[in-house]
Amino acid sequence: MTKAYMGKILMVDLSSGTMTEEAIPDSVYEQYLSGMGLGAYILYNRIPAGADPLGPENILGFCSGLLTGTGSLFSGRWTLVGKSPLTGGWGDANCGGTFSPAIKHCGYDAVFFKGISPKPVYLYVKNGKAVLKDAADLWGKDAVETEEKLKKQYGEKAGVAVIGPAGEKVSLISGVCTDKGRIAARSGLGAVMGVKKLKAVVLDGVQRINVQDPEEMKRLSLKCVKWTNFPMPLSLLPGVGLALMGTFMGATPVMFAQDGLLYKTILRTWGTGGMNQMSAEMGDSPLKNWVGSSKDFPLSKSKTINPDIIRKAEIVKYHCYSCPLGCGGICATKGKYSHTHKPEYESILALGGLCMNEDLDSLFYLNELLNRAGMDTISAGATAAFAIECYEKGILTNKDTDGLELKWGNTEAVVALIRKMVNRDGIGDILADGSKVAAAKIGRGAEACTVHAGGQEPAMHDGRGDPGFNVHYSVEPTPGRHTIGAHLYYEMFQLWKRVKGLPRPSLLFMKGSKYKVNKEKAQASAACSKFMSMGNGAGMCMFGLFIGAKRIPTFDWLNAATGWKFSPEEYMTIGERIQTIKQDFNVKHRIEPKNNFISRRAQGNPPQKEGANKGRVVDVEKLAADYWEQFGWDRATGKPKAETLKRLGIK
Amino acid sequence: MSYTISEKCNGCGACMRVCPADAITGEKKKAHAIDANLCIECGACGKVCPQSGILDGNGIACTMIKRSEWPKPEITVETCIACGICVDACPVGCLAMSERPRNKGVDAFPYLKDAKACIGCGFCRADCPMDVIAMLKPVKEKKASSEVA
Repeated sequence: MTKAYMGKILMVDLSSGTMTEEAIPDSVYEQYLSGMGLGAYILYNRIPAGADPLGPENILGFCSGLLTGTGSLFSGRWTLVGKSPLTGGWGDANCGGTFSPAIKHCGYDAVFFKGISPKPVYLYVKNGKAVLKDAADLWGKDAVETEEKLKKQYGEKAGVAVIGPAGEKVSLISGVCTDKGRIAARSGLGAVMGVKKLKAVVLDGVQRINVQDPEEMKRLSLKCVKWTNFPMPLSLLPGVGLALMGTFMGATPVMFAQDGLLYKTILRTWGTGGMNQMSAEMGDSPLKNWVGSSKDFPLSKSKTINPDIIRKAEIVKYHCYSCPLGCGGICATKGKYSHTHKPEYESILALGGLCMNEDLDSLFYLNELLNRAGMDTISAGATAAFAIECYEKGILTNKDTDGLELKWGNTEAVVALIRKMVNRDGIGDILADGSKVAAAKIGRGAEACTVHAGGQEPAMHDGRGDPGFNVHYSVEPTPGRHTIGAHLYYEMFQLWKRVKGLPRPSLLFMKGSKYKVNKEKAQASAACSKFMSMGNGAGMCMFGLFIGAKRIPTFDWLNAATGWKFSPEEYMTIGERIQTIKQDFNVKHRIEPKNNFISRRAQGNPPQKEGANKGRVVDVEKLAADYWEQFGWDRATGKPKAETLKRLGIK
Repeated sequence: MSYTISEKCNGCGACMRVCPADAITGEKKKAHAIDANLCIECGACGKVCPQSGILDGNGIACTMIKRSEWPKPEITVETCIACGICVDACPVGCLAMSERPRNKGVDAFPYLKDAKACIGCGFCRADCPMDVIAMLKPVKEKKASSEVA
């Protein structure tokens, strides 16, 4: 096989312990790529309608990217797929690290699990042999301990994906961890792995990943590095300079279209944390459980999360596989955990600003605690913020919280609460399944304090500041997802430079124009979804794609690696097919797309009275109808039309 | 194309022990065989066979080379982008990323952590997108590059 993919999958039935190797026809890769596309194709066809996400019929897949291991860059992402127990519909989670090539080195593009094991097990694959091994001595250990133990046994080279205690305890906001703290966290798929009694997947293969045209791959990668190494003076700014830029961007009525090279420089210099203060200032970060505004978390409060301070703790940059940028970092910390992955922007704001917690030490600690437990930092922070609001409103009392004074900014209480969630202890047991489930259990009007899309807590990007986020939170088959599209993302992807017929955004515009509903907006949102679905099939990192479609040669890499001669437009159609099959998966599993709209509070209903997003209202309903139309889905219901499914060959 | 074993094989098992892909099977003192589906063409078997009984992908017999003379990766870390592709490409796991940044930089760099395990296959060199790896015959006086880290 010299087409970049391995052409095979492994299907493991945990109930019977049988393993089946299946050849996948070329036509499937040509229509869906690998990664999330292949995962969607398999799950769409094999999970029966209405299957219980926590039952034996659900299938959990670990999918590598089509471009992973081909000499391309930014292509080391893998996708975890399954029916989500958190939202009841399509679920996927994306992760970097080194696990993606490990899947292919075992000769597979993806490994799937169905059934439920009678006892804790882990899968071990080495050189053509796959076995399920007893995991009794690993059950109960945290994600990092488990990985260390398995790597001690099988060598550092093995790719290891594990669940922590949160997954074992079937927390609906748990994920799957690799590389001592990279986590495929969203959609609650850790719970699926936990309920299947699958503690870990250890992939220890050495198969080569071959491509059609290795010289062309190298030429394209060298071109890509020119852009990732492109010097930008922004890196000389102090962290507070970024914050002040954010203040300006929050206040100015006029905005300029942004180039991904700016963001690349922030990622390279500080990592995602470079956005900490800047986002809070410009109205990108939701604060105080989406009730607060930039005025509630001014520079005087956010100074503790100045990216320069975080950078001081960094010993060395962390690069995921095949990444030339290195936005991650390994940090030294005092206390129980000596080394930790640098906390990401999302984690810092969810556990910080959203709970009004200013204590940086606690953020480092909670980040590592949650990574080890295998719990989503975004959902954990959002659920803690929900609980605090309930407490402040008297819906929860000291009796419910075992005496924890859940007040805004009470660091000790937040830390204690998250520990309870990880251990499913007391109030933590109720909160460990996310805010929607918790609100239903608490009752007493707690639902009004939740912010979610179809049950998934959205990420730390406020759709009132960039309405594109609200569109994607609401319309994606994986609701609440922030890594697909936004007004800003569309500007940075620069797709119109490669794909015919896409609108070019204005270089300078009034911020208010972002909120107007028109066809261009729908085209841009649809293009983001198609492009990222395609990118997730290829295993591409969104941060790489931000640098621009002309500079990061994804389409050309795909052609050189596979020998195909597809045009950018044809690749966008592949993305459209992946997006549509996921949407139809939801329809098949009786999800009403309209019920996935993000909570009214996050839509600006009621509008904020002050801060960067003052008065902003996003008409999600209208935006969604236009978006659905772009895909040939029904304008009123969001369900793919029969002719659309036929056109895309989805059966 | 997979490597194969010719009739010269005397079943000593040296190839089987060095193969990182577990592609070679055979009983002691009987002819061995290579599973074409598992062979990764690293060439390690050819370098250890005392009988010149291993044929490469083109059917050419390999010559035994003293292990101390097997080529080893030399990495120019200054232009390395720390993408980690070489570390992943190594079938025996002899490369690793440093736990400290390179001089005056912030990035980690790959180094030959376990020189003894290196089979000189050159996959790291072949896969490096920046072409910063050379495969060189070790010079005795030179310090092992692992000491740098």
